[in-house]
Amino acid sequence: MPGVLSMRGLSRRFGDVQALRELSFDVPAGHVTGFLGPNGAGKTTTMRAIFGLTELNAGTVTWNDEPVHEGVRRRFGYMPEERGLYPTMRVGEQIEYLGRLHGLSERDARAATASWLERLGVAERAQSKVADLSHGNQQRVQLAGALVHEPEMLVLDEPLAGLDPTATDEIGAILVERAREGCGVLLSSHQLDQVEDLCESVVIIDHGALVVTGRVDDLATSGPRRLVVRVEDDRDARWARELAGVRISEVGAGQVRLVLEPDVDTNVVLDAARRAGRVTEFSYQRRRLSEVFREAVR
Amino acid sequence: MKLRWLLVVLLAGLLSVVRRLSRRARAQRSARTRRAEPGDRRRPDRTSVICLIARREIRERVRSRALLVTSALILLVVAAAIIIPAHNRGRTTSITVGVVGVAPASLAGTVQRAAQSVGTTAHVSSEPSLAAAERALQHKSLDLAVIDDQRLEMLAAPGPTDTSSLAQFARSLAAQLGIARAMAQAGLNNQQISTLYGYRALPIASTGHGPSPSPRNATSILGIIVTFVMLQQYMGWILMGVMEEKTSRVIEVLLSSVRPLQLISGKVLGIGAVTLAQAGAIIAVALLVGELTGSSVLHGASPAIMASSVLWLALGYFFYSWVFAAAGAMVERQDQAQAVAFPLSLPIIFGYVYALVQTSATSISLLTKVLAYLPPTAPFLMPALVGRHAVSWWEFLLGVVVDLASTVALARLAAKVYERAILRTGTRVRWRDVWKERGTGEHPKAPVTKAL
Repeated sequence: MPGVLSMRGLSRRFGDVQALRELSFDVPAGHVTGFLGPNGAGKTTTMRAIFGLTELNAGTVTWNDEPVHEGVRRRFGYMPEERGLYPTMRVGEQIEYLGRLHGLSERDARAATASWLERLGVAERAQSKVADLSHGNQQRVQLAGALVHEPEMLVLDEPLAGLDPTATDEIGAILVERAREGCGVLLSSHQLDQVEDLCESVVIIDHGALVVTGRVDDLATSGPRRLVVRVEDDRDARWARELAGVRISEVGAGQVRLVLEPDVDTNVVLDAARRAGRVTEFSYQRRRLSEVFREAVR
Repeated sequence: MKLRWLLVVLLAGLLSVVRRLSRRARAQRSARTRRAEPGDRRRPDRTSVICLIARREIRERVRSRALLVTSALILLVVAAAIIIPAHNRGRTTSITVGVVGVAPASLAGTVQRAAQSVGTTAHVSSEPSLAAAERALQHKSLDLAVIDDQRLEMLAAPGPTDTSSLAQFARSLAAQLGIARAMAQAGLNNQQISTLYGYRALPIASTGHGPSPSPRNATSILGIIVTFVMLQQYMGWILMGVMEEKTSRVIEVLLSSVRPLQLISGKVLGIGAVTLAQAGAIIAVALLVGELTGSSVLHGASPAIMASSVLWLALGYFFYSWVFAAAGAMVERQDQAQAVAFPLSLPIIFGYVYALVQTSATSISLLTKVLAYLPPTAPFLMPALVGRHAVSWWEFLLGVVVDLASTVALARLAAKVYERAILRTGTRVRWRDVWKERGTGEHPKAPVTKAL
């Protein structure tokens, strides 16, 4: 059943630090929602608040308008930023145990454990102790612990951190698949390109407050025009720095991304580029999520 | 007699609670299995969550090598404590008495009477000279020498508190030789002397009240020692188990689906079940070894004393386990764990030493009685009093009620400390941090000292 996880007016103070400032946003089921913000923005505190792991000074967390209590949380899956598993417990038993704590019967927990370990590529390590696994495999086991009970909402704090590209793709595919099957997914990450690929929506917070939220497509097509220009043998795009109404967004890989104000004539930009060298690329592009992020938290 | 029945009732009650809990969990499990379709999920009730946590604790502990090693060591010590006295009972070392110079004809008889009076045997050896006797004493081929029927010589004269067989024998022989000289000086003939030595001591009857005439009770001493060793071991497990969950950060995953009180209760109950099983194994081995060796250590021990030791081990475990669980939630490293555990162990050490001293004290002080009702020391003092038959059934029951009530209050307090401390990572949580106002606590990424 589609649902929505709603945060309303979350506030949390740690001594002199105001970690959350009346933060409000929604995480719909059936979507992968990226939760972004610079270090210390309040992402982890928000995720902990969803599971009652930190007390709020104000605000409510609801699931389909129902306050998120112990029974509701059992239907959620959680992967904290600081990974946590019993180091000397066997992998299979550990996942089965977590499944049972979330209400699965012994039979279902065993079947789901076998299925998820297989799916995540660690089935052959089911009898190993967690401490004997590599970092990447521990990460997969941790994710299995969050998925084993087929949660209605997945809250994942940096699930892709430290993974190689293959593992990132595999886990990303699983998260998208879960979302397609109706599960809500809220994931935080600093790997913005991956978030852009995985997520339909993003929530960006800074200093505990909401800065930007919306669908990735909408955010990519909104805002000023983006122009990508590649000039042969030009590495620093000095030619673009003096242009009125033009701001350099990124320089690298032999190209420059420019942000144009509405009244800028692109012919002027093209002429300036030609004076610097042979122009091999000149095209409009969507706003990248990294640009949205940087502009939001600037 | 009443105390024995009370213990039977209390232990039966304990077993009944454990059985009821496990039956309930089993019934819920089978009901779920019957009703549940694959993938169907039902919300587990609080009891079954606690049982799940307890089961994990039991499984992990039973698998650990530490349990096997400590169990083997404790069983060895208990078996040795039963076998060695039983073995030595049949091997009384004879005392050798040297005689130098003039000796009365009745000396041999006097020596035998003195030996019998202290439960040993002795034989007489004639020495040619004082120097030879002293050399023999030096070489320990003589235990003591009677010199010219005037004095006794030993390598070291026994002090007034020396209760060894040799010391008791020497004192008895010295007294009897003195009496023999006095009788001879009084001019008594052999028949009169023989009549005097043929006296029969008056019987001493027991009224059934007050301390035992033989205060040192081996079974209660053994029970006190085993309680001490097991409490130390299991409190270490609780402390380190909670700390491991905090250090490995698995606690955050667990607390996202279960309550802190459920988690701590499951841990305490799981390790508690292992404690009782280990105690049961120790008693079974003790009874078996005692039966096979005909040991006097267990011979005088009524079942009440053993049952009382087990009951108070369980009560002591449940009292202290909450304290150590709360302490484990406040630390993240081994050195921090040791620092926080030491002051908490002091009442255990004090109760243990004090109880051992009390098993051989001549009278029972008011302080001892008071300590027997205080939950931190009761697990040691109450079995000590039971071993000396110095506690009535209602006093025993009162002790149990006081302990249970204190444990309930302590558990609530410890659960609160645990809840407030377990998610604070980065540095050791101090007691004053725990009592600070709620809502100003842990920052997920900042050291506690900064966050607070």
